[in-house]
Amino acid sequence: MRKAGLIFLIFICIFLSYLTFITAQKAFQSDWKLPAASTQKEDSFRIVLITQELDTPFWDKVGKGAEQQAQKSGASLEVWGSYGKNQDDFLKKLEVAIQSKVDGIIVQGLDTDRFKELTKVKAAFYGIPIITVGNDVPKAESLRKTYVGSNQHLAGMMIAKLMLSDMGQEGQVILLSDSQKEHYQEQRLSGIKEVLQSFPNIKSIYAETPETREQVIAKTRDLLNQYPDADGFIAVNANTAGAMIQEIGRRGQVEPYFIYSFDDGSESMTLLNQKKLDGVIEQSPEMMGRKSVDVLMQWLKNETVPLDADGYSSEIRMIKAMDER
Amino acid sequence: MNRIQKKIWMLASVVLIIMAIIWIALTYYNQKTQNQYNDILQRYLSMNEVTSTSQKMVTDLNNYLLEPSENHMDNLDKSKDKLNMAKLEIGKLRNSENEFALMNYMNLIDSLIETTDRSLMFYAESDTETSNKEFTEATRLSKYISEMTLTLIDTELKTYDVFYRGIIDQSGEFKKLGIWLMLLITLLLLVITYWFSLSITRPVQQLTRAANELSAGKFDKEIKVDSNDEISFLAQTFNRMRININNLFQEIQQKAQLEHELQQSKLLLQESQLKNLQSQINPHFLFNTLNTLSKKAYLEGSKETSDLLVSVAGLLRYNLKWLDKSVTLQDEVMVIQQYMNIQKARFTDRLTLHLEIDQSCLEVQIPGLTLQPIIENAVIYAVEPREDGGQIWLRIKDDDNMVRIEVEDDGPGIPENIRLQILDGELVETNSASTGIGFTNVVKRLRLFYGLENVMDIQSDIGVGTTVVIRIPKTRGIEQHAQTLDR
Repeated sequence: MRKAGLIFLIFICIFLSYLTFITAQKAFQSDWKLPAASTQKEDSFRIVLITQELDTPFWDKVGKGAEQQAQKSGASLEVWGSYGKNQDDFLKKLEVAIQSKVDGIIVQGLDTDRFKELTKVKAAFYGIPIITVGNDVPKAESLRKTYVGSNQHLAGMMIAKLMLSDMGQEGQVILLSDSQKEHYQEQRLSGIKEVLQSFPNIKSIYAETPETREQVIAKTRDLLNQYPDADGFIAVNANTAGAMIQEIGRRGQVEPYFIYSFDDGSESMTLLNQKKLDGVIEQSPEMMGRKSVDVLMQWLKNETVPLDADGYSSEIRMIKAMDER
Repeated sequence: MNRIQKKIWMLASVVLIIMAIIWIALTYYNQKTQNQYNDILQRYLSMNEVTSTSQKMVTDLNNYLLEPSENHMDNLDKSKDKLNMAKLEIGKLRNSENEFALMNYMNLIDSLIETTDRSLMFYAESDTETSNKEFTEATRLSKYISEMTLTLIDTELKTYDVFYRGIIDQSGEFKKLGIWLMLLITLLLLVITYWFSLSITRPVQQLTRAANELSAGKFDKEIKVDSNDEISFLAQTFNRMRININNLFQEIQQKAQLEHELQQSKLLLQESQLKNLQSQINPHFLFNTLNTLSKKAYLEGSKETSDLLVSVAGLLRYNLKWLDKSVTLQDEVMVIQQYMNIQKARFTDRLTLHLEIDQSCLEVQIPGLTLQPIIENAVIYAVEPREDGGQIWLRIKDDDNMVRIEVEDDGPGIPENIRLQILDGELVETNSASTGIGFTNVVKRLRLFYGLENVMDIQSDIGVGTTVVIRIPKTRGIEQHAQTLDR
């Protein structure tokens, strides 16, 4: 009896010691770590990539490419931007970047006065190099160091040719651009028009619309009313393609129309997969990102001065809806 | 020998040390947590400080632009200094997570200060328009700083989320630890206290039990206490006392026994003296008569009768004289010869006495009248009843430091039960044919005289004979003892 009691007591003692030990270990041992102390070298370059459309497949790829390249060349890069082409927010980000005295800014070009003023005056004042990516703004207006991205004029020509090969050399084509008249759209248009000029049987109708969805829909409706015989559509601003197709679809079949756009819209690839778009011009966003960082680093390290003001073109390809299947 | 005190001190120090360790651990942990909290708070405070200082600076700038006075200038300078200080503080918060943002943040602060300076400069040059433009920019920058502060704090929260949760979890674990630790220590202390108290009370209990037994009179049980403190010392002392008491007790018992024996020997002596007195009705008359008879017989030419009468007279004198004194063996042998002379006259050639005596042993001290009753006994039982008589051997031999006296006869022997009764001194003699002193009396006297139990032995075979063997020491070892008793 006494022995049993003793064993019981020892058992309880061991049990309690074990529990105490376990909890003590948990209480005194912290497995969470504070963030590591600053590892960045003082002289590593800080680069900001600013876009107007965060979280779209196209710009995500640009960001990814840029980050890869930045890591490779030992620069620290952050992707800033606005959502859904919020210009005020975008410009504010740009200004903050300039005022934060980053070492270089890679920015999606925006063809507005405020943008030009910021790049021309502010950035130049602080001596911050600016590279446009994806969309260009002419050097004279923005004092950008260079442009990295597709040759938009060539892209316009390609899309026109693509349409011609599908539609034939006769028909009515509606070119829908947005009212911003951004530089890259102008260039695409000029490319399209250059091709279409040599085909007198093609009648091209040029239309402009503000970028909001409702307005695009309204404009499309107007256009369909005005030109019921239209055979093809080209959404020069890829972001308008979705709303445009939606309206056309409401009217009737989407199939008979030849609809083309570019891949830098948030819905472009989805629409292509649904065969609602007959073809897109695919650019190389990842390459753009990589190249832009690479070029900027070259400039920052004084390896290539000055940079090619005409820009560095990235690849463009045509994709037809059939190819995708 | 201050073991109990030492034990108590030990217990107290163990408790004290445990408490001290817990207290130190708690304090250390508390301090650590406090520091962590302080650091965290400091981070947020530093960031907030930037926001408020930058706003303050813009306000000061505005005040100055509206009303350029020394006072406002001072304020502006002060807030500029403060902003610079705040910037320095912010610089310390860098880590790998917020490095980029923090660098931007600090540059923004720089830009704000520069813009403010520019605004002041243009103001001094009376370029009010440019100055105002710069002021607007400063305002905007201040706004950006506020926004960025919020972003930073947000990032900070995200970065440190795990850390904060860790702290919360840890404090939870700590609470649990407290409970377990308290239970463990309580149990341990209980066990230690129990063991400790037992180590003091158990020896006391043992001692109490021993004392009880002692008081009940059991002196022969050793007192044993398994402890090594004062109690054990007490127990040892107690045990010594027990041994002493026990020794005294035994001594007293021994004395009592001796006294008892002495009394007995006195009684025996008295008995033989009484018997003696009975037979000495008028010894002088008897002597005189015997002497007269002896002379008369001699004159009448009966020489044998005369000798016989002399023997009877000698024997009688010896009987009266030596009864309570020790004599030498020589005297005894002489008496036996006289006695045998008398008996020879009675039994003529029916009785033959063989003497085998080692002369060197005759100086040994022996109580008076010891051999004569034995011989007499042999005569009475071995010779008298037999028609053809009997033989008696008396042998006195040297046996190392003892003297061996054997009285042998060839009579009918003694039955075993009687033999034992004789040896035990229980036999009461009924035959009154002796000279007076019985066998039993002799046995007891011999034992008392030498203080030895095995002085006498009797060997007897029925129909063959009886041998009485007396072994007495040459030097009387008990002499001193006897003298002590005589006192």
